[in-house]
Amino acid sequence: MADLSTISFTLNGRPVTARIAPHHTVVEVLQNEFGLFGARESCGQGLCGCCTVRVDGDPVSGCLFLAAFLEGTRVDTVESLARGGVPSVVQQAFIEAGAFQCGFCTPGFIMMTERLLEEHPDPDEDLIRHYLSGNLCRCGTYPEIVAAVQLAARRKSEARLDKAS
Amino acid sequence: MIPFQLAEPASFAEAVRLIDPEDPTCRAVSGGTAMMLMMKSGVFQPSKLVSLRKVEPEYAAFTVSSDGALQAGALVRLGQLERSEAVRAAFPVLADTFPVLSNVRVRNVATVGGNLAHADPHMDLPPVLMALGAHITATGPSGSRTIALTELFRGYYETALEPGELISGLSVPAQAGRRSAYVKCTTRSAHDWPALGVAVSLAVTGGTIQDARIVLSAAVETPTRMTDAEAALKGAPIGEEAFRAAGEAAAKAAEVTSDVRGSAPYKTQLVRVNVVRALRKALAAEGAV
Ligand SMILES: Cc1cc2nc3c(=O)[nH]c(=O)nc-3n(C[C@H](O)[C@H](O)[C@H](O)COP(=O)(O)OP(=O)(O)OC[C@H]3O[C@@H](n4cnc5c(N)ncnc54)[C@H](O)[C@@H]3O)c2cc1C
Ligand code: FES
Ligand code: FES
Repeated sequence: MADLSTISFTLNGRPVTARIAPHHTVVEVLQNEFGLFGARESCGQGLCGCCTVRVDGDPVSGCLFLAAFLEGTRVDTVESLARGGVPSVVQQAFIEAGAFQCGFCTPGFIMMTERLLEEHPDPDEDLIRHYLSGNLCRCGTYPEIVAAVQLAARRKSEARLDKAS
Repeated sequence: MIPFQLAEPASFAEAVRLIDPEDPTCRAVSGGTAMMLMMKSGVFQPSKLVSLRKVEPEYAAFTVSSDGALQAGALVRLGQLERSEAVRAAFPVLADTFPVLSNVRVRNVATVGGNLAHADPHMDLPPVLMALGAHITATGPSGSRTIALTELFRGYYETALEPGELISGLSVPAQAGRRSAYVKCTTRSAHDWPALGVAVSLAVTGGTIQDARIVLSAAVETPTRMTDAEAALKGAPIGEEAFRAAGEAAAKAAEVTSDVRGSAPYKTQLVRVNVVRALRKALAAEGAV
């Protein structure tokens, strides 16, 4: 049996601890210790992005990230986005643009988009497609996903203008 | 995955001490992206991994000097370099390469040291850094030494690192006006591993090529400089004639291997064509091509 150890990190804004073995991945710990299923494993190889979570702000593949490496970090999952039952701007845009069919890939695309729009508030289509090229949607809703990202970018920039005026 | 032990030392020196050179199942881990794939597929089953992630912060930092030389610690993540304006200005070819290297999440995690130690011949950075004249610092139980990238890759997943030796840093010299380019040629899908990579770096004055470095990867067992093709360019006027001569020389000399991405004759033709394309790309700004 592998040795268990205790790690401490901040999960969706709350300080937490978990008992883990060295070979556990982030996805396993989020699901088994915290009941969070938004990040889910599909390819298990870093290619599809279904397991995307943010570690200290950066999106990473939870399927390729050892849970032990979370010690002392800030981890954000898709479950952190809605506030009081109100979806985030990006989530709302995905709903309105119909940017999913089965929805399995959606948390990953949304987590990537949250970061994309922080780094590039007004991305062109090339940049959107490039940034999301490591995420796969087996239902093929790519055109709607691009539209959702553009809609979210527009809404966020309107909100910034409103705030400024 | 199979259980293993994990050590997380707080210093690089301690990490070196914890790696047992006699035990091939005891290895370093940095970003873990390649290691996780090897462990998940069962290609590698470690008894113990020594994580470098908690060593001194200087190993995760980099500087670009005023003349444009890069010094990076082994734990610098590829995404850090990708987002640096200073790196982009000093090495436009790196800025051009990162976007085709895997995806945003892998680049957020993968490190310089892990990337270069992995030595998969299909990887994108080794040929580019080789063309840029880079070297690494290797640190082991008996101290540190410098290894040029041209000497680092010894074969399929094999490097010149001694057992127990780790990559501690990367240096890329200032390019002093050299022009560089990388062409990644994929034959199945855009995000597949390349069938061929071509990296070139050229020193030019006026309309003449003074010096050339041409490196092939992916189609060959290990990233390799094409010295015949380089010689064909030395002293030649910039233009299609010289480029084609270099392409021919590279196609003739390259020891190309067949695999699922193409037969050896097909990939030899890719070499012929893509060396020319890489040279054109590098010199596009000269207005000569
Ligand atoms: C989905 C996916 C797609 C990819 N696509 C591409 C691509 O298109 N192009 C490309 O070039 N690469 C690609 N890669 C490979 C990627 O570049 C490597 O996985 C990554 O660079 C390895 O870095 P790491 O820090 O994660 O290494 P790790 O996984 O931590 O280590 C890799 C190897 O190096 C050893 N090691 C680690 N650090 C050191 C050190 N400092 N000194 C000595 N040995 C060390 C480890 O023992 C291990 O053997 C892809 C990877 C994934 C997962
Ligand atoms: S499950 Fe992690 S990237 Fe596909
Ligand atoms: S909506 Fe089904 S995989 Fe994307």
